[in-house]
Amino acid sequence: MKSIFQFDNIMTSIEVTRLFKTFQTKRKSAGLAASARALFKPKYSTVEAVRGISFRMEEGELLGFIGPNGAGKSTTIKMLTGILHPSAGEANVLGFTPWKDRQKLAFHIGTVFGQRPQLWYHLPAIDTFMLFGKIYELDEAETQKRVDFLAEAFEIRDLLETPVRKLSLGQRMRCEVAASLLHRPKLLLLDEPSIGLDVVAKQHIRDAIRRMNQEEGVGVLLTSHDAGDLEALCKRVIIVNHGQIVYEDKVSNLKRKHLTSKLVEVRYAEEVPAGFHIDGVDVLKVGRYGVKLRFDTNKTAVDSVMSHLSEVGDLVDITISDPPLEDVIAKIYKEAAPA
Amino acid sequence: MKKYLAIIQMQVINNIAYPGDFLGRSISIGIFLFIFAGLWRTTFAIAGTDVINGLTVSNMLWYLMMAETIELGRPRINRVISEQVKNGEVAYILSKPYNFLLYHFSFGLGDSLMRIVMNIIVGTGVTWILAGTPPSPLGWAMAMVTMVGAWILHFCMMALIGLTAFVVEETNSFELIYQKAVFILGGMLLPLDLFPQWLQSIARVLPFPYMMYAPARLFVKPEWGLFWQMLANQWIWVAVLAGALVLAYRSSEKVLTVNGG
Repeated sequence: MKSIFQFDNIMTSIEVTRLFKTFQTKRKSAGLAASARALFKPKYSTVEAVRGISFRMEEGELLGFIGPNGAGKSTTIKMLTGILHPSAGEANVLGFTPWKDRQKLAFHIGTVFGQRPQLWYHLPAIDTFMLFGKIYELDEAETQKRVDFLAEAFEIRDLLETPVRKLSLGQRMRCEVAASLLHRPKLLLLDEPSIGLDVVAKQHIRDAIRRMNQEEGVGVLLTSHDAGDLEALCKRVIIVNHGQIVYEDKVSNLKRKHLTSKLVEVRYAEEVPAGFHIDGVDVLKVGRYGVKLRFDTNKTAVDSVMSHLSEVGDLVDITISDPPLEDVIAKIYKEAAPA
Repeated sequence: MKKYLAIIQMQVINNIAYPGDFLGRSISIGIFLFIFAGLWRTTFAIAGTDVINGLTVSNMLWYLMMAETIELGRPRINRVISEQVKNGEVAYILSKPYNFLLYHFSFGLGDSLMRIVMNIIVGTGVTWILAGTPPSPLGWAMAMVTMVGAWILHFCMMALIGLTAFVVEETNSFELIYQKAVFILGGMLLPLDLFPQWLQSIARVLPFPYMMYAPARLFVKPEWGLFWQMLANQWIWVAVLAGALVLAYRSSEKVLTVNGG
């Protein structure tokens, strides 16, 4: 509950200013001789994983952090949890400097790192839940109440007493995310929570996360390379590539501004005439009775395309769709790629 | 404090999650003892004596039983840390509200407890059959007391080796070197009493005898003078190595890079 004094005062939960992280990575060429040389004279190359990232996240916000592999998403999250020390820059998470107050901050944040398990693999999840209760200094009754609530929210009641190793990946991830919420964190940092999951399992996780956000106001910073997570969960998106922010806006704006092309599939009653062509339209595929095309709504009007299509012959069927958000994001990556 | 007790408890449960494997591991001490019983009997027979430097075959076997209990029960924290650094799990360990070193201390202790208990039970049974009556209650008491310090010394060494994983990732080779040092200078294979004098003097200024020889020797031949001397040296080493561990942790914490950035 927010106090009445904060009626329109939006609180910041994360503030990051010009954050940098540089790694030294050992390099070695192929073969035994190179291995021997590397032993005595290792060669290092510098990897700039994060290059001057700045952003703000509000309390209770659902923020997506999207980027291809190696873009610096996980490195940023790890700096925000205090596991990694940045090479330069400032960060404030819930009033703490993460790498200085890691343990104090740990009481207020929940973390899930993709497929890396935090549940004890050989024991049932309930054992880890009870252990976390003690680690986060909750009393037993409180832990039990919280476990009951999370068991219902994540639909994991029947899974809690099964050894974690026997759960499917989807079931395990539900338990993992639930475990990270045991201590009622104000902020949840999810690093690739849906990686490797099937459609149904992804949906399950997203629903539960959305519910926790609505009911408990937990802020969620989510990294993913799955645009579906973004569409389903996030209100705002930050796109990173090569360690820098290349795009930052509301998800709805992203769609409005960048989802400007349409995909059209048409079926005709008779054969498509040879040399099928419409000005300002990309013809992707011409079949015997059908065509598939794409056009930019800013350059070519929808009705002119439609009238051209109907002039060609009798239409049997027509489908108009948006390209997948992934394509849009891929386009943004390309545009932002250094020359 | 409660959270660390909970971690110990969790590791005890974890250890008995596979009862078959747990029992199987407990048998190995019996096999070692059986082999060494043959070896020592033959050695003593060839030497044509019942006592070598004050130790009988029975002493040697009870000594070995205690030494093996410690060796098989010592924490293998370096492997845990190195595995966690390699697969990135260390991210979870570091993002929870507990002290990294105390977490691993509790984790290792929980892991060792059941193994030590089982090794003592199986080891005592087998050695009783092979070598006759066990040492006196005073021997047991002195061994138990010095085992606490011995375990902590092992923990400090393993954790120091484990911390190098933050830089080098793989620590098995360091563990092997360490293990051989304990085998020889710690008096694991042979009690220090059987060493030439010069080697004994070198060993005694190193921490290794207090990790292995002290509890095992006091177990078979409890002597108050030796007990206090061993205990004092042992805890001086505990202070030195624990101090080194804390310093090493503080500096390695800063250079830590978690895999898969």
